[in-house]
Amino acid sequence: MEQIAIAFQAAIELLVTGDTALYEIVGLSLMVSLSSVVLSACLGVPCGALIGTHSFALKNALLRVIYTLMSLPPVIAGLVVFLLIMRRGPLGAWGITYTPAAMIIAQVCLVTPIITGLTYNIVRDRAPKVKALAATMGAGRLDALKLLIFELRIGILAAIVTGLGRALSEVGAVMIVGGNIKGKTRVMTTYIAQLKSMGDYSTAIAVGIVLLILAFLINTFLYNVQQKVEK
Amino acid sequence: MKLYMENLIKEFEGRRVLDIRELLIESGALCGIIGPNGAGKSTLLNLIAGLMKPTDGSLLYGEEETAVAPFREMTMVFQAPYLIRTTVDKNIAYPLKLRGWGNAQIEERVGELAEELGLTDFRKQKSWKLSGGETQKVALARALSFRPKLLLLDEPTANVDPATTAEIERMLRKINEKEGTTVILITHNLVQAKRVCREVLFMNQGKVVEFGAAERVLRDPEQELTKRFVDGELFT
Repeated sequence: MEQIAIAFQAAIELLVTGDTALYEIVGLSLMVSLSSVVLSACLGVPCGALIGTHSFALKNALLRVIYTLMSLPPVIAGLVVFLLIMRRGPLGAWGITYTPAAMIIAQVCLVTPIITGLTYNIVRDRAPKVKALAATMGAGRLDALKLLIFELRIGILAAIVTGLGRALSEVGAVMIVGGNIKGKTRVMTTYIAQLKSMGDYSTAIAVGIVLLILAFLINTFLYNVQQKVEK
Repeated sequence: MKLYMENLIKEFEGRRVLDIRELLIESGALCGIIGPNGAGKSTLLNLIAGLMKPTDGSLLYGEEETAVAPFREMTMVFQAPYLIRTTVDKNIAYPLKLRGWGNAQIEERVGELAEELGLTDFRKQKSWKLSGGETQKVALARALSFRPKLLLLDEPTANVDPATTAEIERMLRKINEKEGTTVILITHNLVQAKRVCREVLFMNQGKVVEFGAAERVLRDPEQELTKRFVDGELFT
């Protein structure tokens, strides 16, 4: 217990004094996670909305695949992406192994099904009523889509934030495709794993605190948006 | 807006839920649709509203008898209306914005309807904070905002108190008389049908059993089925 307290104190000092290497890692983590979430949202929100508002053959099968991918183990995503982008892989010519680009691709594979699945559920529940309202008000397709997005904005935002949480906390996939290379592909989660194995608990806790602060800030943002809309 | 239907059929998974040989609802009608549960009343209204497509037959709108549903000239109010998650004002203004009305015109029309339906004090209220009766009045105000030629209502007073019911009924009669809006109203309340409607359409098992002046259909029906329904016997 005493060791934890000492490590915690050292962590606070590390954060306050400002360790450049630590902040670089935090910066890269944010860049990789935010980029992957933006890409995943661009893919997942329209896909979820389309699946939720349309009927087509194999829809149920597709949904089962999406739900399965929502709980895709990160190491599997990382392994598949690595096999695709490694030098002898089909996308080896891209030369992105052990780069942030590879980490973003791996995280997109993990986050897109989450955003798609959550968006689908939100749209499925409320879209019929919103669509009926739009039709009976004389709205065209574009106006109906605008109304749907407006009405479901909080739910869609929550889906995106959930995806961001997954991206920020993910370690397995980025470790496999990124390699945890210092100054190049080292992010908070892979750094914590490395620090633990090195026995540097204070730095590990400091990075952990930064992760928690980020999670807190994201949730505070969502809460504030919700409060503003609900008032 | 005149409505003409011929051999109008709607089937769900092979089951025929609506089968209307011929039906003409004249422009300016204030028509009540009555009938037991499962009679096809809501299906008929949804078909007219363009929310469903008929399996077969024709449904023609207006004097020009066009087959395309004129979405910009008609609207529908549901039993449990969906209000946009914003203020009462913005809900009423929504169809007007869609139609490109100017802000001053919108403000004037919203104020007029809010006053007419006793919503003035709620104009800035968020839609999810309203009671059932207030919600229904906002839905009606929103539907009437752009002065539709055809107004469809699916049991609009099923969940509201008598005072709100009276207010809604008064409004329906007013827009029908003053603006010539064709009003088609589904109701399970025969007293309401008698009180509000000039014409009554009785449906059973997807078919039109009787259609005529409300006074006659409800007091002295020609069909035995209608008589049994009006007498409270037919509830299947």
